[in-house]
Amino acid sequence: MDSRGASAAVIEDPRGQCEQLAERTGIALPHITAAREHTRERVAELRDALDHETLAGGMSICVFGSWARDELTPHSDDDWAVLAAQPFAAEDQDVATAMDLAEEHLGAGDRAPGSQSVFGVPFDLPGLVDNVGLNADTNTNLTRRMLLLLESRELAGTVHDEAWRAVLERYLNYGVKDFRPPRFLLNDLTRYWRTICVDFEGKHSDTRGDDPKWVSRNAKLRTSRKLLFAGGLVPILLCHLHDRDAMPEFLATWLKAPPLDRLAAAFLWAEAESEGARALSAYDRWLAIQFNAAARTELKALRHDTRRESPLFEEIMEIGRQFERAVLALLFNTRLAALSQQYVVF
Amino acid sequence: MVPALLTTRSPLLGRHATIGCSTGYMHDDRENWPRLIATAAAVSSLAVELSAVSEPELPGLLDYLQSAPQLPFRYVSVHAPSKARELDEKQLVATLERLPRWIDAIVVHPDTIGDPGLYRPLGRLLVLENMDSRKPGGRTADELDAFFAALPDAGLCFDIAHAKSVDQTMVEGEAILRRFADRLRHVHLSSLDEDCHHVSLSSQDEELFAPLLENCRDVPWILEAPPPQ
Repeated sequence: MDSRGASAAVIEDPRGQCEQLAERTGIALPHITAAREHTRERVAELRDALDHETLAGGMSICVFGSWARDELTPHSDDDWAVLAAQPFAAEDQDVATAMDLAEEHLGAGDRAPGSQSVFGVPFDLPGLVDNVGLNADTNTNLTRRMLLLLESRELAGTVHDEAWRAVLERYLNYGVKDFRPPRFLLNDLTRYWRTICVDFEGKHSDTRGDDPKWVSRNAKLRTSRKLLFAGGLVPILLCHLHDRDAMPEFLATWLKAPPLDRLAAAFLWAEAESEGARALSAYDRWLAIQFNAAARTELKALRHDTRRESPLFEEIMEIGRQFERAVLALLFNTRLAALSQQYVVF
Repeated sequence: MVPALLTTRSPLLGRHATIGCSTGYMHDDRENWPRLIATAAAVSSLAVELSAVSEPELPGLLDYLQSAPQLPFRYVSVHAPSKARELDEKQLVATLERLPRWIDAIVVHPDTIGDPGLYRPLGRLLVLENMDSRKPGGRTADELDAFFAALPDAGLCFDIAHAKSVDQTMVEGEAILRRFADRLRHVHLSSLDEDCHHVSLSSQDEELFAPLLENCRDVPWILEAPPPQ
């Protein structure tokens, strides 16, 4: 049961809080644990393999999404990119070499990154930080910047940390007030979440639901995309507890932890352990589906018009509802509500 | 139907996100499902429990739900029969399996279960309700354990008034919530009269229940009696 009267001091480093919450509530999270173990193994494997290769200075091979959430399964996509510290020419040999290296180890067969060239390509840091908002900030640019900040990890190279801090600095470099969530970052995060939701509809406007990816994209919106948003939103709101000088390190510590750890830390801080247990249990069931090759195949075969006949899709909807209710309770029915009401809507 | 949001002076109920009522207390309209639904929606259009607690009510409810009515609720549970039972367990489960897929939960009283294994086809839709002190089983965390062991996908419907009837200190209720935290799907909320009948939540019970309800902020609350005014 929740420890009433516990200190309201926010957890400084959320890493390990998922396990902590599970232990305190007596729940089992076998699939989250297995995904974390699998991610550790694959990251170590890839880092070891790439360590023996020559990568030019000023670039990194990075991975995004489940790789960075510690949610990798044997069937996950490899969303990777070559990140360059500076703009580069189309025929840049160092970039071409880095691309060859990445392609040699990542994205083979079914694991290829999405077809819209957001990942699986090289891009540079200045493009991410110089073009925030306005016309030059394309959906692709916004996606790369947000995922770099919220869900990214370096497999080889030296640029990632510098790039990560440059993006954060872009949001915090002016107008940030002591004990106020940084509005610029909050607004861009909210814009990104809403963009994902709107683009989901945009991607299917011409296929009217017959797109083979409709169901899997919808399933992700209900689960891992919600985690992406909530896992970014919570630490931004918690900046209310810090002066502006402390915010960069606070955000760095929180955003570099897996998003499930961030949420677990928030549930613990907000004395909402039971609700947190149900959020994590629901997410564990989602990862069970991700581990299940037959379930993934079934999802790929479903279409907009056939999804409601599928018990698997029904289960995913139920998982999404359970996860969402718990996160909403965290945001609006705990001590965090004061901040959510103040900042999340306007 | 005129959908509404809950009007109450209770701050505890007023600030809860997903709240609704059971049709079980609407005795005058029993088996008139359109009218029961309209009455429930006029209390709160966010959640509802369709009560077929008496077995003869179940066929009519099935017919009504299979007619694909347009409902405003975000959460819909069905209370399975525990009274006037004629069907054997196999037949009952087969009938419950005919409920539409969009139903969120089917509430079953554990003391009416003879062979738990027969209920496995209901999967995660099945939620077991902790029983009041008059019942022979399913009242405590220990008594519920055996049912959940046999039904690993089943959820918990926490009836907080039943928990009070078993232990007025609410320690047993706390034990149920603690042991089955990840199974909790919804809460039944009311007070009980001396005969263990559900009555509107009293202000004393509201105060008594508040600490436990603090652990149920994410799940729907179903009022088993008219909301307190």
